[in-house]
Amino acid sequence: MIREKVKIVNDAGLHARPAAALVKLASKFKSDFFIHMYGYRVNGKSILGVMTLAAEQGAELELEIDGEDEAAAAEAIIELINDGFGEVYDDEG
Amino acid sequence: MDLEKFTMMKDSISKEEIVLSGAPAAPGIAMGKTSLYQRSRPTVSSQNITDDEIDHQLSQFEKALGEAKEEIRKLQDTQENGEIKELLQAHIEMINDPDLRKRVEIEIKKYNQPADAAIEKVFGTYLDLMDNQQGLLQERSIDIEDVRDRLIHIINNNDIQDEIEQGSILIARELSPREVIEFSEQNIGGIVMDRGGTTSHAAILARSMQIPTVVGVENASTSIAGRELVILNGDRGEVLVNPTPATQAKYEELMARAADEQSEMEKICKSPNTTSDGASFSLQANIEFKEELAAVRSVRAEGIGLLRTESLYLRHDQFGEEKQQKAFYHAILEGTNPHPVTIRLFDAGGDKFFDQGQQEHNPFLGWRGIRMLLDERALFQEQLRAILETAVQYPGRVRLLVPMVSSLQEIAVIKEVIKETEEELAAKTNTTHIDIQLGIMVEVPSVAMQAEHYAEQVDFLSIGTNDLTQYLLAVDRGNERISGLYSQRHPAVWKMIRHVSEAGKATSRPVSVCGELASDPVAACCLLGLGINELSMTPGALPMVKKALCRHSLDEMRKLAAQVSESITVSDVEDAFVKFLANE
Repeated sequence: MIREKVKIVNDAGLHARPAAALVKLASKFKSDFFIHMYGYRVNGKSILGVMTLAAEQGAELELEIDGEDEAAAAEAIIELINDGFGEVYDDEG
Repeated sequence: MDLEKFTMMKDSISKEEIVLSGAPAAPGIAMGKTSLYQRSRPTVSSQNITDDEIDHQLSQFEKALGEAKEEIRKLQDTQENGEIKELLQAHIEMINDPDLRKRVEIEIKKYNQPADAAIEKVFGTYLDLMDNQQGLLQERSIDIEDVRDRLIHIINNNDIQDEIEQGSILIARELSPREVIEFSEQNIGGIVMDRGGTTSHAAILARSMQIPTVVGVENASTSIAGRELVILNGDRGEVLVNPTPATQAKYEELMARAADEQSEMEKICKSPNTTSDGASFSLQANIEFKEELAAVRSVRAEGIGLLRTESLYLRHDQFGEEKQQKAFYHAILEGTNPHPVTIRLFDAGGDKFFDQGQQEHNPFLGWRGIRMLLDERALFQEQLRAILETAVQYPGRVRLLVPMVSSLQEIAVIKEVIKETEEELAAKTNTTHIDIQLGIMVEVPSVAMQAEHYAEQVDFLSIGTNDLTQYLLAVDRGNERISGLYSQRHPAVWKMIRHVSEAGKATSRPVSVCGELASDPVAACCLLGLGINELSMTPGALPMVKKALCRHSLDEMRKLAAQVSESITVSDVEDAFVKFLANE
């Protein structure tokens, strides 16, 4: 089992569109995927669960990935989150 | 007071013009009668089912999931905006949600709930969690409510058709994305919502579909009556209820003028890029974000003359990830097919990146643009790799623009680094030749003065008039105290431009202008008169520039350029411009 902490970096946080991208990606892997935040634990393959976390920019999540393809799943999921779900920012920082 | 008098007074009070304010969510002005919309919450069965009915209820649930998914897919197909497609994808993912399915099935099988009540209950647990949260989240729960209600409606077989009068202004507490799309098909004139911010999904959709919209108008749905006359100002975020005849007349005129301008602009954008005597020119756009592509297409720009990459870098604590950069370039090239895209290398001062705790005394004359990139080789190569790999995918369409070049030696080093990166890439991808053009920004006066020597070393020159003016006139363009001294129309600036244009001709290298000067319609005519027929500007300025260029002949423009060349002061240039306009 892999456990790893990540931060939400995109401006708008984990709202509907990023959540859709996350569960879609996670569902491609066989491994179970759970997200821990503020003492909650939700199924990372359930968009409704992910949306209820309401993770804003800067929120810290702990990912729990368990299964035969856990290494590949962890790599892909962490990359997606660190990439800010591919969202473009409107500010110049 | 007698009753009659009282009623009259009450009437006149209630007919008074009221201004309600909210946030401007989608621009435009609309006038019309209101239609109130209240979403009908479906009722669900309250009786438990018998064990015999479980299978039927399970299949009802299954069928509803399938139908709802199909409906959303169809909506997705009607939308062109990628953001909206992705948003609707979130609705599809809700329907695909494995936990939702499992939990609804348990409600039906274990607790003998009918399908509709089971859906209501399971969605309720998610919505309760969201209700405890503040702000943005409340906005987001509308997407979940919408999917829930669609599923229940399908199971109960009530096809709700909300009839709204054509052209009316829709007043609602809040709308789901699906509702906005459906109402847009009924030709509504505008939308007013009690809730929601300018970044709510409804607002994004309204903007994309160009429906004037004001959101966050507290109590609009309870204080505005149905079939009441309102004026909606989506530019200012205002709703005028019961406008006086004078106000109505004012807005009617505004709307007529806006409509005229709009249709004239469209006509101009569609016309060919030629002067009145048939000389052709090319207009491109300066952009920084992929969200600007829609504007680029609507003004029919022939590609991107300046793609800024600073925000790509600055959004991260560290440098932009190569993969993300490539995705960005890819999106821009896809969105501008088949035109060229000129990517300018990262152009900012080093202070933005490296925490050196050292403030430069003259940052505009300091460690910036290519000067910084050559010292920070890793950053430079990372960007080059991303650009070159993109160029492999889009042969002949990518142009590389180097900012702040101030010596020939720099160009030699840049070429070396490009060659190294190219070789590295060739080994990796089996490509032998990368079709990419190399150009420099002409913004340092010494480069402009020796333009012919620089031109020989590169494929094209692009004049950045904003910085060229500030360096040439020794005027900090950010300093308000001396802003009167800053003028891109200064005769010395024109002299430089003329020189660069001639150097381009002598060396057969194309010269373009991507500074603010190109977005000034008369100045654009003068640039054409000097032989520069490739201009790049902010997309919004393009129609007015094109209008001026189409209306005049190259002959007139050459005369203007000759007059400007003889000018001694800024006011001489201004006089020549005024005279040029008066000749229309």
